[in-house]
Amino acid sequence: MSAPNRKGFRPAARYSALNLVRRGISGSEWPPAWRQHPLRAGYDAVIIGAGVHGLATAYYLAANHGISNVAVLDKGYVGGGGSGRNTAIVRSNYLTPEGVRFYDRSLSLYRTMAADLNYNVMFSKRGHLTLAHNDGSLRTMRWRAEVNKVQGIDSEVIGPDDIKELVPFMDTSTQARYPVLGALYHPPGGIIRHDAVNWAYARAADSLGVHIHQNTEVTGIEVAAGKVTGVRTTQGAISTPIVVNCTAGWASTIADMVGVDLPIITHPLQAAVTEPVKMFLHAVVVSGSLHVYVSQTDRGELVFGASVDPFASYSMRGSLEFTEELAAHVLELMPAVAKMRVLRQWAGLCDMTPDYSPIMGFTPVEGFLVDVGWGTYGFKAGPVSGEAMAEAVATGRTPEIIATFDLARFAEGRLVGEKGAASVGH
Amino acid sequence: MSSGSRRLTPQAVEVIDRANSVGFTFDGRSYSGHPGDSIVSALLASGVTVFSRSYKYHRPRGVLTAGFHDPGCMMQVGDEPNVRGSHRLVEDGMVVSSQNRWPSLRFDVAAANHAVGRFLTAGFYYKTFIKPQPLWPAYEKILSRFAPGGRMSADSVHGRYDHRFAHPDVVVAGGGPAGMLAALAAAEAGATVMLVEEEHALGGHLRYEPSQHKDLATIVGRVAGHPNIEVLTDSVVTGRYDDNWVAICQRNHPGVFERLIKARAKVLVVAAGLVERPYVFAGNDKPGVMLSTAVRRLINLWAVKPGERAVVLTANTTGDAAVEDLERAGVAIAAVVDGRRGHTVVRARGPKTGVKSVELADGSTVEADLVVTAVGWTAPTSLLNMAGDRPRYDPAAARFFACDLPANVLATGGITGDGTLDQLAEHAQAVGREAARRSLTTRRQWQAARPWAASPQPETDDVSPQAIPDLPRHPHPEMFRSTSHGIVDFSEDVSSKDLVAAVAEGFNSIELAKRYTTATMGPTQGKLETVNAVAVVAEAIDRTIEDVGTTVWRPPYAPITLGALGGRSHEPTRYSPMQSWHQANGAKPLVAGQWIRPDHYGDPEAEVRNVRENVGIIDVTPLGKLDLRGPDVSRLLEQVYVNRWAKLGVGGVRYGVMCAEDGVVLDDGVTGRLADDRYLMTTTSSGAGTVWEWVENWLQTEHPDWRVVVTPMTTSYASMNVAGPKVRTLLERIVEDIDLSPDAFGYMNVRQGRIAGVDCFMWRIGFTGELSYEIHVPAGYGLDVWEAILEAGADLGIGAFGVEAQRIMRLEKGHFIVGQDTDGLMQGFSAGIDWLIKLDKDDFAGKPELTWQSQRTGDVRVVALQPVDGTVVPLEASQIVDGSGAIMGRVTSSRMSPTLGRSICLGVVAENLATAGSVVTIRLPDGDLVKARVMEHHAHFDPEGTRLRG
Amino acid sequence: MLLVPCPWCGPRNASDLRYVGETSRRPDPASVTPAEWRAYLYDHANPAGPTTETWYCRGCRRFFVAERDTVTNVFTSSRPPGRQNPEEPR
Repeated sequence: MSAPNRKGFRPAARYSALNLVRRGISGSEWPPAWRQHPLRAGYDAVIIGAGVHGLATAYYLAANHGISNVAVLDKGYVGGGGSGRNTAIVRSNYLTPEGVRFYDRSLSLYRTMAADLNYNVMFSKRGHLTLAHNDGSLRTMRWRAEVNKVQGIDSEVIGPDDIKELVPFMDTSTQARYPVLGALYHPPGGIIRHDAVNWAYARAADSLGVHIHQNTEVTGIEVAAGKVTGVRTTQGAISTPIVVNCTAGWASTIADMVGVDLPIITHPLQAAVTEPVKMFLHAVVVSGSLHVYVSQTDRGELVFGASVDPFASYSMRGSLEFTEELAAHVLELMPAVAKMRVLRQWAGLCDMTPDYSPIMGFTPVEGFLVDVGWGTYGFKAGPVSGEAMAEAVATGRTPEIIATFDLARFAEGRLVGEKGAASVGH
Repeated sequence: MSSGSRRLTPQAVEVIDRANSVGFTFDGRSYSGHPGDSIVSALLASGVTVFSRSYKYHRPRGVLTAGFHDPGCMMQVGDEPNVRGSHRLVEDGMVVSSQNRWPSLRFDVAAANHAVGRFLTAGFYYKTFIKPQPLWPAYEKILSRFAPGGRMSADSVHGRYDHRFAHPDVVVAGGGPAGMLAALAAAEAGATVMLVEEEHALGGHLRYEPSQHKDLATIVGRVAGHPNIEVLTDSVVTGRYDDNWVAICQRNHPGVFERLIKARAKVLVVAAGLVERPYVFAGNDKPGVMLSTAVRRLINLWAVKPGERAVVLTANTTGDAAVEDLERAGVAIAAVVDGRRGHTVVRARGPKTGVKSVELADGSTVEADLVVTAVGWTAPTSLLNMAGDRPRYDPAAARFFACDLPANVLATGGITGDGTLDQLAEHAQAVGREAARRSLTTRRQWQAARPWAASPQPETDDVSPQAIPDLPRHPHPEMFRSTSHGIVDFSEDVSSKDLVAAVAEGFNSIELAKRYTTATMGPTQGKLETVNAVAVVAEAIDRTIEDVGTTVWRPPYAPITLGALGGRSHEPTRYSPMQSWHQANGAKPLVAGQWIRPDHYGDPEAEVRNVRENVGIIDVTPLGKLDLRGPDVSRLLEQVYVNRWAKLGVGGVRYGVMCAEDGVVLDDGVTGRLADDRYLMTTTSSGAGTVWEWVENWLQTEHPDWRVVVTPMTTSYASMNVAGPKVRTLLERIVEDIDLSPDAFGYMNVRQGRIAGVDCFMWRIGFTGELSYEIHVPAGYGLDVWEAILEAGADLGIGAFGVEAQRIMRLEKGHFIVGQDTDGLMQGFSAGIDWLIKLDKDDFAGKPELTWQSQRTGDVRVVALQPVDGTVVPLEASQIVDGSGAIMGRVTSSRMSPTLGRSICLGVVAENLATAGSVVTIRLPDGDLVKARVMEHHAHFDPEGTRLRG
Repeated sequence: MLLVPCPWCGPRNASDLRYVGETSRRPDPASVTPAEWRAYLYDHANPAGPTTETWYCRGCRRFFVAERDTVTNVFTSSRPPGRQNPEEPR
């Protein structure tokens, strides 16, 4: 990534413990994290979707490229979609070299985000364990570990004793129905406060002049002679030469507005959280064979996720069978937590692509860019995607780091190798 | 904490059994109560008033609701965290401890947070600990110490849980008067009904209504006596999912900790009643501030005196009734503040652990140790919400109402409206009758939707839709917050001030304010706090409550244990009929999907040598087997395999590879022709299910005109492979009706005959590279035949071998394993099966992609590799790299070959490295680099196959 | 748990079935172009609303075609697979 031309980021009110005390004593309110503006008649770029991808793209456009006459539109509220519904796991132990490099950049942006954006996003380095219950998945874990090591990523296959040490609640006995044979251990992986990430980018983008328009639904995109010229919204029309589709769940609908077909199927992805208990699970634990991942937040709740729902749907109502399977599988791993209670379940929408990799960059319609198809791994890629999409918009060229994720790969039969060992990977 | 007994003289409708006592401990001290007491009522009766510390400020908390959702009364009972102390009945010997205090309830170090509360504003943690960044992990550690809730123990046992499926016509959620009357009406109209009540007994608010006691007993008696009604108490409908899939958590089923009932309700009737809403004012979370329903429950159900001197803020008849209850219980009424007249309380004052005085709106101060509020209701619309309804706020009644329910969901009772008892009863009965009518219609429709259902449904009288009367809505003052600020979310310690601050910071919608402050996200999940939160946000942004709307209620309505959700472990496990032999002979089990297989019997390398030198036998029962019959089987085979099948004669066998439509290798196996119109297809063990659906898909959706019947036979046959140079000698001793001579029964043929007196199919095929026969016998004879073969070959040195030995031998022979040596992107030609793929066939699955693959270069190839240093076995998944360290491939299989005495591998490499003789660099897991040579053949051993064909 | 209307078994729990995907028509392999074939493999209408899709019932082991609204999950019809008219995808 080229060294960005960083414009000074000056928030209206700097966050710090000292300022917190000052305001506590004086009783004065903090200013809005981001402001409301009337819709301008035109913007240099319009970004659809005020999730982490859209907000990060806007922020890096302004911060790295000095392009701040930018609108971020959302039909709901900031971070109301997948960015606020995911299980907030970050890691970079992917299978392909291009995937590893991409997510590692994201992880490094996450690591310094609190200081960069003056917002504590509560990055919590926990160590990330992907369990293997049979020799096939153990082989896949080794494959990932070896690719990771070649790329300089801290990633290693460890055995049951080491796992037990990291996760004392884990049933590592050989009597388990799905015995734990080993795990891919990725110490840099962890969790983060997803809402804080969204708000941090929104606040930073706003302070650089980006307009964030909530409750502003896109109803159409104007195209003339194969070029984007504007956007129609429920709050009025906007002229713009650039539209970036940063939506999840609605990526096909938005692309349809300009006649671009996407190889996407939308599936709900569910998650659930338990009541809080005192900390007992430090690491993030994933089991591909048992389709479950679990971590404990700093608030003490266990947060769970699983695979996407088994059929395409735009429903976010959630299902009982999801929590049943989830619980059964968690208890296979940690039988001692049977008395913990599930407090809430929810669902988000995931746009699944044929090769478990996103679709990023330019499309046949000039000025219409996509940053979609994020499946179940969009949140962890938010920062690097924003950085890369901003570069694409600003330079008119596809950054090398996202070159393999182009839309044309499907028609040309160049699928990305993450499909090589398709498994739940959070 | 005050002390001394607060137990009242016997009350008319109390539920405690005074004749008996139970003893328990709380924080190490002994207490006693009566059967029927909740943990909290027993403690309160003994003078304990503080039960926990709050999440953020560690303020002492007491009783608020005296019901399940009592935020300050979560406790640890034994190894169970977060027990609802106001709901859980006390038991003899219970060990109860308070949560969220350190080191004790009386003295809590973290209560210092209270002193700095003015700085712990909404989202304070987002604004602090930013720099210096390296210190954040240390801060984080301290923060997470304050995580609320109970404690888990790694030694806890899983315990017993269960699941049940139910198919009632009607599920009624809520066993109050409306729910009971609706259930009765539905049952009388012929529907089967499941009536679910969260509390320990039916009755709802009538339970603590002494004047209604007789009427209640009559209704409960009718419900209990009705054969169509199943009553579930201490059970709660936790969710309504698509198509009325209703989840019920049953907490009092004998023998299990909790049970999940999954009911496919044809109609769901929601009669959840109303939840009393707390009032927001300064000091509203002090022990001694209670809801009017809490006071009524404590006095009437448990005969507990809630305080000595009370101020009652009442805006409705429940509050008025609480005044009467208090007077009867001997509590002095210091003041009755009537919210209907615009009066209110402003502040509760006193030490941290209780109330001493109350400041009223007129500025006066009243001495009191108890503040009772009755300011209105929250309609628990959770289940209606899950059914797609978005409730709308009615300012005149000061609560939300459902507005748009699907046809299979009805609502009655307080959630729907107010009215006299008669009006409510009339409504509930009409709803019950209508629920029965709709459910019986659905029952008929579902039965008629099965074309095989032989007998037509009996004609039933068409009942016309039942008119459901509208319930009036009684006016109620809108009372959410006083002129002071107080706690809105008691679980999360979120105050109205926090919400106002969040709005000022731009979090100006209920969803954003909720996320920023975490209001409604704690254990009560909005039941107590959502409407107050909405009201505070509405006030802060100067909009109406209707405009702000409410947040979406998510399942579950009440928390449910992971144990209940998971139920009994029902992971299927599959064993072959020979499992008992394997176990008796020391087999080390290998988990292979659902199958448990013998990995080896002690020494896999010795097993290999025995097969190569003598003869061995392996259990291959999990091998997928499909019986294909009909005149068009060969057309099907041409369609699903990349190779050619038309000329396969009866008795012939061919190896085939299947590719998916994207050209990626899907499965492989051998298929033999048993008769003119009968074939037996074998698949990989893990691919058995997939291939079955794959061939059915071709037959049913693309070629419905083809006449083929597919029958899965995987577990119908026990399968075993007998291999080694002495196998023919062995089999000649026990095989009948098959001529085993090489001329009569050559390689790649299949015969039917008998072995050890049992009908069998016998295949001359092999994965091991030795002369071998694969034998399928009916599963019930598997063990007999297995043992007969071992016995017959004892003098020949026969031994069983496991999966590991087979893997070594197949690697020596260079056979790839689909999914191990191939991957999810590898197309046919990359697997090195060029000789098999017949692009000149008209069509087969994946043909276009394979055609294009054959025309391009640059793909990967599967190759055999031998490390130059034959003592090095590169771990499977070791990467193949070029001079710059870039990845050029990987080792997919590797073993030390006992036969060759050196390491051997299969690997995937870039095409330019795939030529025989080229040397590649393998990066071992420890970073060392070793050289390996690309071999000419995949087979490391006997590439001509002379042993196999012998 | 969704109730899926199998034309042979009647309404069944979705866990008894497998979702196959949007019903599409296989191009003629003899004349198909790469772009057409890959559109068949990978592209989907993916509508937020009514769609025609294939399910496989593990009870009767049969494939069928159903119409469902992907927002509400409500099924409006189901029928055996195969061409009802030459223009219709199968």
